[in-house]
Amino acid sequence: MKKRISPLVVTGVVLVTLFAVLCLLPLIYMVAVSFTDSETLYIRFKDLRPSLYNYWYAIVKRDFGTALKNSVITVVGSCLLVDIASAMAAYGFEKKPVPGKEALFQGYLATMMIPGQVILIPMFVMFNRAGLTNTYAALILPMVGAFGIFLMRQFMVAVPNELLEAAEIDGCGEMRRFITIVLPLVQPALITLTIFTFNAAWNNFLWPLIINTRSEMRVLPVTMSTLASNSTTNYGMVMAGATLTFLFPFILYIFLQKQFVEGIALGGVKG
Amino acid sequence: MSIATAKKPRWSPRRRRQAVIGAAYIAPSFILMAIFNVIPIFLSIYFSFTKYNMASPPVWIGLENYAKLFNNRVLTESLSNTVRYVLITVPVQTVLSLLIAAFIAEHLKNRYGSLMRSVIFIPVIVSLIASATVWNIMYQPKGGLINQFLNALGFDSVNFLGKKASALPSVAVVAIWKNTGYYMVIYYAGVMNVPSDVREAAIVDGATAIQRFWYITLPILKPITYMIVTLGIIGSFQVFDLVYKMTGGGPGRSTYTVAYVIYTFAFQDKNYGYASAVAICLLIVILFIHLIQTLFFKEKDA
Repeated sequence: MKKRISPLVVTGVVLVTLFAVLCLLPLIYMVAVSFTDSETLYIRFKDLRPSLYNYWYAIVKRDFGTALKNSVITVVGSCLLVDIASAMAAYGFEKKPVPGKEALFQGYLATMMIPGQVILIPMFVMFNRAGLTNTYAALILPMVGAFGIFLMRQFMVAVPNELLEAAEIDGCGEMRRFITIVLPLVQPALITLTIFTFNAAWNNFLWPLIINTRSEMRVLPVTMSTLASNSTTNYGMVMAGATLTFLFPFILYIFLQKQFVEGIALGGVKG
Repeated sequence: MSIATAKKPRWSPRRRRQAVIGAAYIAPSFILMAIFNVIPIFLSIYFSFTKYNMASPPVWIGLENYAKLFNNRVLTESLSNTVRYVLITVPVQTVLSLLIAAFIAEHLKNRYGSLMRSVIFIPVIVSLIASATVWNIMYQPKGGLINQFLNALGFDSVNFLGKKASALPSVAVVAIWKNTGYYMVIYYAGVMNVPSDVREAAIVDGATAIQRFWYITLPILKPITYMIVTLGIIGSFQVFDLVYKMTGGGPGRSTYTVAYVIYTFAFQDKNYGYASAVAICLLIVILFIHLIQTLFFKEKDA
């Protein structure tokens, strides 16, 4: 439909553009400062140093390499565990005649209302008692939650029962049906869930801060927070660390933008 | 689904087998969630009635922790800070995300609009700690980007995070920067669900863009708005990472929030029982907010 461009629309476009620029500005600043001489805050062009010195310094000299490794291990472990446990649970809830399953599912959903701070102290005590502080298990095991199972179940509904029955008649075993028929059919949901888990595990801060206190077991946000306070004037290096922390989710976002957004819309409209 | 299963009178061996297999599929998540979600709540309730520092076993002291909540200055101040923080972040991020989503859906349904949506979403994926670090440097009184800008316009530098009056709003700005894109995505999905014939009919009837927004889009988005406000309140009520990294609760106690206070009571003062009592109060508040939202939903749906 062709219509006259009103001044209201022009103003709107300008304001939206301005807001988008404001959204990007801190990140552009972050990257720019990460390429300047460390001790400066006034970005002048002569300070801009197109070298990776700050990155090298952060990774090699200031534990960012270790933190990067820990974060990657935690994220990969979390995504695998959450994907598998959630897909299995969703399949059981949706496709199997388990008595009392709907009540249990409601119970699962209820846990989504519990704020993290409420379970923090008992979790800390439990993991200390179990001797699981400063382990990857401490970071990975608590990642399984109701959201993932809820998300998977939404997609599990669309898996046709006839297909599963036909496969059963053909002599396809239970495990094989799940792996070769169900999982490929819910693949889009698995990708969405992986994105969510990736971000949750990558950005997790409070729990890793209290449970993994040894420096060789710290993840990126924790190292980031200790770094920035220990050397408040080395802005270039701090910004290099922040850029590194941002880079991985950003790459994921660029490639999987559609799934990011669909996942949020879907998770958000759950009510 | 439930109708079909309910009609089967007895459990055939096949069905029983299927039930066992189903339970096996649910078991891993059940065990993990029981250990890491359910048991901790009951432990938390138990700890809240005890004096506990982890060095020695918890000592039952009844309601003493709860009695001590009400005349604790730190706690009342942090509660009022948290409420102020919620009152800044939630209205701003809700209105911004609604206006942007509605505008893009109405006037920018093209590649430029989708570029704008992509860009506005980017802060959502930045970790809170990285965001806090970057904004801390931007807020620096000497040479930070914002003060450079103010100086260039001829204003004096402002110590945003160092002044009691400006510290909390400055933290709130970062939250708004980070959250708006998230809620915009939810709103946008909602606007796109508005039946196109309704909007077209309004256009034919000569309704202006503002009238269409006010009388059609806004009422249809009401359930989503309830949800976004609820999510926003709950999220802001639990603010921790930003405060921890940006101000450490200061200056003075001007940015102490409830979540931050729980952290300091527990992990700095080693007063796990008392911190648990605060946490249980937080849980009650959050459940109450959920309850209000559910009641509103029911009423509006009926």
